Amino acid sequence: MAKGQFEHVLVPVASDTDAESTAEALADHLETDRVTVVHVVEKAGGAPDKAGVEQREEAAAEAFERFEETYGESVETDIVYDTNIADGLLAAAAEVGADALAFTPRGGGWFERLLSGSVTRELLDETDRPVVVLPGEQR
Amino acid sequence: MSDEELAKDLGLISAMTIGIGTMIGAGIFVLPGVAANAAGPVVVVSFVVGGLVAMINALSVSELGTAMPKAGGGYYYINKSLGPMFGSIAGMGDWMGLAFASAFYCIGFGQYLAVFVGLPSLTFLNPIQVGALIAGALFVGINYIGAKETGGIQTVIVTLLLSILAVFAVAGFFSFDYATLVSEGGLAPYGANAILPGTALVFVSFLGYAKIATVAEELQNPGRNLPIAIIGSVAIVTVIYAILVTTMLGVIPWPELSQDAPVAQAARVAFPASIGPLTGVAGIAAAVMTVGALLATASSANASILASARINFAMGRDKIVTDWLNEIHPRYATPYRSILTTGGLIVVFIALLGQDIEVLSKAASVLHLIVYALMNVGLIVFREADVPEYDPDFTVPLYPFTPIVGAVSSLGLVVFMDAIEIALSAAFVVVAVAWYFLYAKKHTEARGVLSDFVRNREDQLPDQVIDAAASVEPDQPGHRVMVPLANPNTERDLIKLGGAIAKHHGGTLHAVHIVTVPDQTDLQYAKEHLGEFDGDTAGVLEQARLDAEEFEVPIETHTVISHRGFEEVFDAATTHEADTVVMGWGGNSHGSPGRIESAYDEVMQRLPCDFIVMKDRGFDPSRVLVPTAGGPDSELSAAVARILRDAYDSEVTLLHVADDETEGREFLDEWAEANGLPDATLRVETGDVEAAIERAARDATLLSIGATEQGLLSRLVSDSLTMDVIDDLDCTVLLTETAHDRSLRDRLFGSR
Repeated sequence: MAKGQFEHVLVPVASDTDAESTAEALADHLETDRVTVVHVVEKAGGAPDKAGVEQREEAAAEAFERFEETYGESVETDIVYDTNIADGLLAAAAEVGADALAFTPRGGGWFERLLSGSVTRELLDETDRPVVVLPGEQR
Repeated sequence: MSDEELAKDLGLISAMTIGIGTMIGAGIFVLPGVAANAAGPVVVVSFVVGGLVAMINALSVSELGTAMPKAGGGYYYINKSLGPMFGSIAGMGDWMGLAFASAFYCIGFGQYLAVFVGLPSLTFLNPIQVGALIAGALFVGINYIGAKETGGIQTVIVTLLLSILAVFAVAGFFSFDYATLVSEGGLAPYGANAILPGTALVFVSFLGYAKIATVAEELQNPGRNLPIAIIGSVAIVTVIYAILVTTMLGVIPWPELSQDAPVAQAARVAFPASIGPLTGVAGIAAAVMTVGALLATASSANASILASARINFAMGRDKIVTDWLNEIHPRYATPYRSILTTGGLIVVFIALLGQDIEVLSKAASVLHLIVYALMNVGLIVFREADVPEYDPDFTVPLYPFTPIVGAVSSLGLVVFMDAIEIALSAAFVVVAVAWYFLYAKKHTEARGVLSDFVRNREDQLPDQVIDAAASVEPDQPGHRVMVPLANPNTERDLIKLGGAIAKHHGGTLHAVHIVTVPDQTDLQYAKEHLGEFDGDTAGVLEQARLDAEEFEVPIETHTVISHRGFEEVFDAATTHEADTVVMGWGGNSHGSPGRIESAYDEVMQRLPCDFIVMKDRGFDPSRVLVPTAGGPDSELSAAVARILRDAYDSEVTLLHVADDETEGREFLDEWAEANGLPDATLRVETGDVEAAIERAARDATLLSIGATEQGLLSRLVSDSLTMDVIDDLDCTVLLTETAHDRSLRDRLFGSR
C-alpha cells in the first residue's frame, strides 16, 4: 500500500494507549520528515479542571514517551491548553506550520458525544489544512 | 498568551465563587435548624466565632498558598515543612475530611430532595440517606466522566444563589420579629456556654476556602488573587451566615425551625401568600429555595470531590499513597481511580453515619481542624528555618501571634466536639501514623524543612530530639544527586548527567544555586535582597527544573546564600544528604576559588559523598572512554559509564595501561566483568600512561576517569595541580572521586 507523504505532520494524542496505536498507524501509513506530537489539556475556562494541571502534564509526558517508543524515533512534542480540544489542535498546527493533522479517532459512545461533543467531528468541520484519519486498533 | 498563562485560567471571580460556592451550601441550607436547636438564637454568635477561626486560618493558608501555589493545598505545605509523617496525617486528614464533608453535603442534598419527591426507605437506610446516596453517585459519576463544566456555570450558580438569598433576606427582613427571636427562653436559652459547642457544630460551613488553595496552580496571579479570594470568601460567607441565620430565627421560633430543610420552611413563612393578583407566592418561594439548596449542596459536594483528587495527586507524587490512584482516564482525562475511591468512602459514610448529620459534619470539621493546626505549625517552621525559597507574596499580619492563635483555636475547637468525633479523629490520627510507618516511610523520599532544620542544629539540640527526628525519617532518601549550579552555560550538561544518574537510581535531583555575597554583607539582608547579588537565581533554577522535567527526574531546587562560594558545595552536600555531587570545574564554574587553598584540603580530605566533576566541552556521551588502573575511584567512573550506556546507548571503551600486555588484558577482562561492562571495547596499551590516554581519547567524546589519588580532586579544582593530559584533550572529562568517610551524621541518620 502506498504511503501518504507530508513534510510535517501534527499528531494529537490523548493518552498513553492512544499514543501507542496512533504511533503504529502513523508509521504504517504516512511518510513524513517531521512529527509534532501534541496533547491538549482541556481547560474549564474559569472553573477548576477535571484534574490538576501538573497531573495532566505528567500524563502527557507519559503519552509522549510511549509514542516515541512505539514510533521508534524522537519527535517534537507540545502541550497545548485550550477550552476546546479541536481549536487547540488547529491553533497548534498553525503555530508549528504543520502540513497536515493525522490522528486515530477515539470512538466513544453516544453518551460521551452527548456530553463532550465529538472532537473528530469538530476537527473535520473546522480544519484549515488536510486531515488524515488513521485507522485505529482493529476491533 | 503563553502556554503558562493559558494553563492558569482561574481569575479572582472564579476563585471567589469556588470558595463561596463550597461554603454556602452547608451554613445556610443545611445546618441552621440543627444548630439553633442545639444552642438557641445565640447560634448566630457561634457562626461568627467560626468565621473568626476560619479567618485566622485563611490568613495562614494565604501565606502558604502564595509561597507554594501547588496542587494539594494544606497537605502539600505540611509535607514540605513538617515532613512526611505529619504529611501523612495531613494528607489523610484532608482526604477523609473531604469525604466526610462530601457525605454531609450529600445528606443535605437528600434532605431537600425529600421535600420534592417521595423517597423510599431501604432496609436500614432512611429516605434522606437514599436521596444522599443518589446524589453521591451522581456527583461521583459527573467527576468520573468529567462532564465539561465551564467557568460560566459555576459563576452563574453562585450568582443565582446569592440573588435568591438576597431576596430571601429582604422578605425575611419584613417578616422579622424580634419577639420571635427571643420567644423561647431569650437569646441564649442554654447559656453562653452553648456558643463554642455550636461553633464546633457549624464549623463545617467554613471548610470551602481551603479548596481555593488546592487549585492554586490554576490561579492567575496567585500572589494577589489567592489571598483576596480566600480571605474575601470567608468574610463574605460569615456576613451572609450572620444575617440569614438571624433572619430565619426571627421568622420562625428556634425550636420549630426545620432540622432538614430550614430555608424552605422559613421562606414559606417569610414570603406573603400572595402579592396582588399573584397567589401561591410563599409556595413558589419555598420551591425556589429548595432548588437553591440542591444547587448549593451539589456544588459543595462537587468541589470537595474534585479537591480530594488533587490531594491524592499530591500525595501520590510524594509516594505517601500509591500513584496507582492517580492514573488519568484514557478517554475522560479524569483521575478516575481517585474519584472512585473517594466516592466509595462517601457512600460508606452516608450509609453508616448518615442517620446523624452532626457526626458527619463534626468529623469533617475535626479532621480539617487538625490539618489547619498542623498548617500553622508548618508556617512557623518555614519562617524560623529561614528557607530562601520560601518567599510568600502575602504574609500573615502579627507573626508569630497569628499562626499560634490559628493553631491553638483550631485544636481548641476540637475540644468542643463530642466524644464520638474526637475518638473517631484520634483513631484516625493513629491510623495515619501507622500508615506512615507501615507504608509511606518505605516509599516516600520527601523530607520536610523541619528535619533539615533539626539536622543543621545537631550540636545545639538534645540527643533525644535528633534521635526522634531520625526515627521518623523516611527509609528511602532515594539516591540524591546534588548539582551545584553557577554558570548557566554548563548548567544543562550538569543536569543531563546528574539527571541520568538520579534516574538510574530512581532518586531525586537537587539543584542548588549557591549565591556568594561579600563578607561584609549580612546574610539575612542578602536573603531579602537576593536580586542585588545575583540577578537570576530564579532563572537558573527554573531552567534546571525544566531540564530535569525533560528527563522526568524529580527535582528539588534550593538556594544557598553564603559568604563562601565553592566550599559551600561541601556543606550543602552534607545538609542535603547527597549521595553524589555532580559539579562543573574550570572557567568560572564556581566563581573565584576560595581564599586559601588549605580550606579545600581540609574539607576535601573527607569527601561527604561521591563527587563527579565535569570539565565541560559539550556533553556528548556517544563514545565513552574509561581508563582504569583499578581502585574505588575508577569503579565509580565505570559506574558512570554504565549509567550513560543505559541512558544514551553509549559505546564504552575501557583502557588499561600495563607493562605486560597479556597480564593487562587479563586484568581488564576481569575488571570489565566485575564492573558490569562486559560489552565494552577493551583496549590495553603499554608505555606512557598519559600518552596512552591522550591517544585513546581522540576517538572518544567523553572521558570518565577516577581520581586515582585521594585529594587529587581538591588540588585540581583549586588549580594547585594541573594534569596536562586533561587540559590537552578536546572531549568532556568526568573526574570521579568516591566518598571517603562515613561521619557521625551517617550513624545518626544513615541508611546508606
